[in-house]
Amino acid sequence: MGKDVFEQSCALVGLYIESTTNLSRQKDQEMGTKLDIVDLTVIRALQKDARTSFAAIAKSCDVSVDTISKRYKKIENAGIARGTTVLLNPKSFGCDCVASFGIRADFSHIEEIIQFLKKMPDIVFSTQTMGRHSIFAVAIVKNVTKLSQVKEIIKGHPMVREITTSIWVNDILLCPENFDLQTNGEK
Amino acid sequence: MTYSFAPRILTYRQTEKNSLDNIDLYIIETLSKDARTSFRQISKELNVSPDTIIERYNALQEKGIIRGSTIILNPKEIGYNAMAVFMIDVSPVEGSRQGLDSSSILETLIKMRNIIVATKTVGDHDLLAIGVVKNFQHLFAVRNEIVAIPGVKDMEVSFWSEITELSPKYFVI
Repeated sequence: MGKDVFEQSCALVGLYIESTTNLSRQKDQEMGTKLDIVDLTVIRALQKDARTSFAAIAKSCDVSVDTISKRYKKIENAGIARGTTVLLNPKSFGCDCVASFGIRADFSHIEEIIQFLKKMPDIVFSTQTMGRHSIFAVAIVKNVTKLSQVKEIIKGHPMVREITTSIWVNDILLCPENFDLQTNGEK
Repeated sequence: MTYSFAPRILTYRQTEKNSLDNIDLYIIETLSKDARTSFRQISKELNVSPDTIIERYNALQEKGIIRGSTIILNPKEIGYNAMAVFMIDVSPVEGSRQGLDSSSILETLIKMRNIIVATKTVGDHDLLAIGVVKNFQHLFAVRNEIVAIPGVKDMEVSFWSEITELSPKYFVI
């Protein structure tokens, strides 16, 4: 009996600690992201077209151009944005085939396999995952023949147990503006 | 670190397909490092007129070699702590009965909040979507939302939390 009560109270204390740490973490997050409506407008505008002139953004927000360039610097310095880039079409560079690999591997060797994937020039993205697979990787290659070669190389690694390949068909849709930035910021 | 972004996403090179010259390649390389570089600056570095650069840039866009430009966000700073890949199987029978094929599901997917990439795939699954989530509860919410789409038969989820940047750059074709 006494043991049961002890266990129950332990569980309760555990829950309490968990909930309070969650709360404090939420607070930290809110502290970290002090985005107001002007910042959000800047981010949204640049997401659509990174070359949007600050003057145009300033006009839409009804503030000065100086404010916008200050805000942009603030966003960059705070680490919220890591810069801007152009989106290229790999097909124009002779890469017709995009595919993703789901890899199951020996748990003790996942890091080793990630390092192995990192060295492969055709793999543009690889990460350790939880869930169905231990590693998820994306490859951009010239054609299906090359893809099969890449797959064979990965499969040739002694610690890879299983690999599933999915070739991405042409209509890949991108929607970077699908984030709810609003919910994280103060108005 | 358990993630990796290979720096050479694409080797910017000349192929029969694109017929790019050195000016084009220089523009592409400069802008992929910082899309806000002024054309005036690029023109100075190359010793050509700013008009040439503007013309070239517009031509690259028209040819579809440059598909656009975007800001690279760090999701952790805006409260997104994990990314997940959803591998979806579509039910063929139910789908055709209701006039729902994978294309219409794909459209629904990309309109969903938090999904940044969606594509049809050939292989293990029918559709693949990549999303960003704030935490576990949020992951479940997103998962339930996808499962609730009519025509979705089965789904596998893998997720990771080692993300440093969020840019469609790595997923574009």
